[in-house]
Amino acid sequence: MSVVGALAAKEIRTLFTSPIAYAVIAVFMVLSGYTFTVSLFVTKQATLVHIFFQAAVQLILLVPLITMRQFAEERRTGTLELLLTAPVREIDIVLAKFVACMVVLGVIAFSTLIYAVVLSVYGDPDWGPIYSGYVGLVLLGASLLSVGLTISALTANQIVAAVVSLGLFGVLWSIDTLASLLPQPFENWLLGLSLLARFTPFAVGALYVSDFGFFLTVILLGLFLTVRALARS
Amino acid sequence: MAVLSLDRLSKRYGARLAVDSVSFNIEGREVFGLLGPNGSGKSTILRLVTGYLRPTSGTVQVAGLDVARDGRAARRRIGYVPESAPLYGHMRVVEFLGFMGRLRGIMGLALEKAVDAAVDRLALGDVRSVIIERLSYGYRQRVSLAQAILHEPELLVLDEPTNGLDPRQIIELRGLLRRLAEDCAVLVTSHVLAEIERTADRVGILLDGRLLTIEPITREATEPPPPSRLETLFLDLTQAKAIQ
Repeated sequence: MSVVGALAAKEIRTLFTSPIAYAVIAVFMVLSGYTFTVSLFVTKQATLVHIFFQAAVQLILLVPLITMRQFAEERRTGTLELLLTAPVREIDIVLAKFVACMVVLGVIAFSTLIYAVVLSVYGDPDWGPIYSGYVGLVLLGASLLSVGLTISALTANQIVAAVVSLGLFGVLWSIDTLASLLPQPFENWLLGLSLLARFTPFAVGALYVSDFGFFLTVILLGLFLTVRALARS
Repeated sequence: MAVLSLDRLSKRYGARLAVDSVSFNIEGREVFGLLGPNGSGKSTILRLVTGYLRPTSGTVQVAGLDVARDGRAARRRIGYVPESAPLYGHMRVVEFLGFMGRLRGIMGLALEKAVDAAVDRLALGDVRSVIIERLSYGYRQRVSLAQAILHEPELLVLDEPTNGLDPRQIIELRGLLRRLAEDCAVLVTSHVLAEIERTADRVGILLDGRLLTIEPITREATEPPPPSRLETLFLDLTQAKAIQ
């Protein structure tokens, strides 16, 4: 097992031995199940668009709970010193935590596949928007995790990490409403940062390279900044 | 060649100079004690030695490797016990030791042997499958020491290892440090003069980040001096209580 593998295995175990991961997954499943049932009976359409939008909002609320303790808790308890004085690189530690958080995100995304199965059994859904919706959901989730890890690496207080992450995610999600009040080119600049504006095409079945590029940039930038936050000063 | 060599090492936090041009060497099989009041820069020096912090100026070399330039290679040669022995409380003792061994590149059968050897050496056999957060502080300190010697380091660095230990555990630790020093160099800090005097071969006295002097401690044998009368009385009484 490689060093990253050993670290990732430890992180996954840590996440799933605390009740946080189970609480996050359970809350997500209950709310998305409710939305799926209601939207199916109201609209009578074989689509998961409502689920994708609601899942995106839930990720904004729930990802801070996953990332808040990743570095903040290690810093508070002193175990970060143990890791950083072992012969491992900062990037190994960051990647391991990112992979562990992605496993939780994967479980969340996987849990919604049941709705796609139900639609395929009782209807004839358009699979294009469903595939693209999942791609968008994973990209959005990975971006939020990456930024959440950066914020967690900057503090020793997990509540501060969670609150700051939640605030930042909320602003980035809804910044398009502020953009509409601004003149050009500021409107376009802010729209380009809006998570909602970037996610919407995925949820409705339209894939743009620029949206892929945006999310990949956010993921890589977040991981880079996390490594920088851990770097020995 | 010295196992540890500090050359005009300085660390500045803003306007405050936490470590001011400190230089000393430690040879193999030597216990070097850093003594100083709280806030004198002992822990900062250890963090510079282990690569957790970067020096503002000066160098740290471990077995000839510059800690700032060859960080990973140098850290492979160091075993470190931070102050208050931070551990992953949800892990079992052997699981934690296995994890720390993997981080140091020990895998497979070699890892099993290394874990067993560390468990034996630190007398952790009775608690090897116990979850760490259920251990007493004394056992936690031993687990922390065990992870530090897993990879047979050339330099063992301990930050205030006797903090929070009861007299019996302190006496045990003294003997343990002397035995560990048969295989590697040991750098240990304390603000308790008597402790350093009983365990170290040489002692450096720090004040406000400056190394004021280095003094040898003459001792006839490599073993630590026998316990004092009060320590012997305490050991006898607690031993009798433990047996009852």
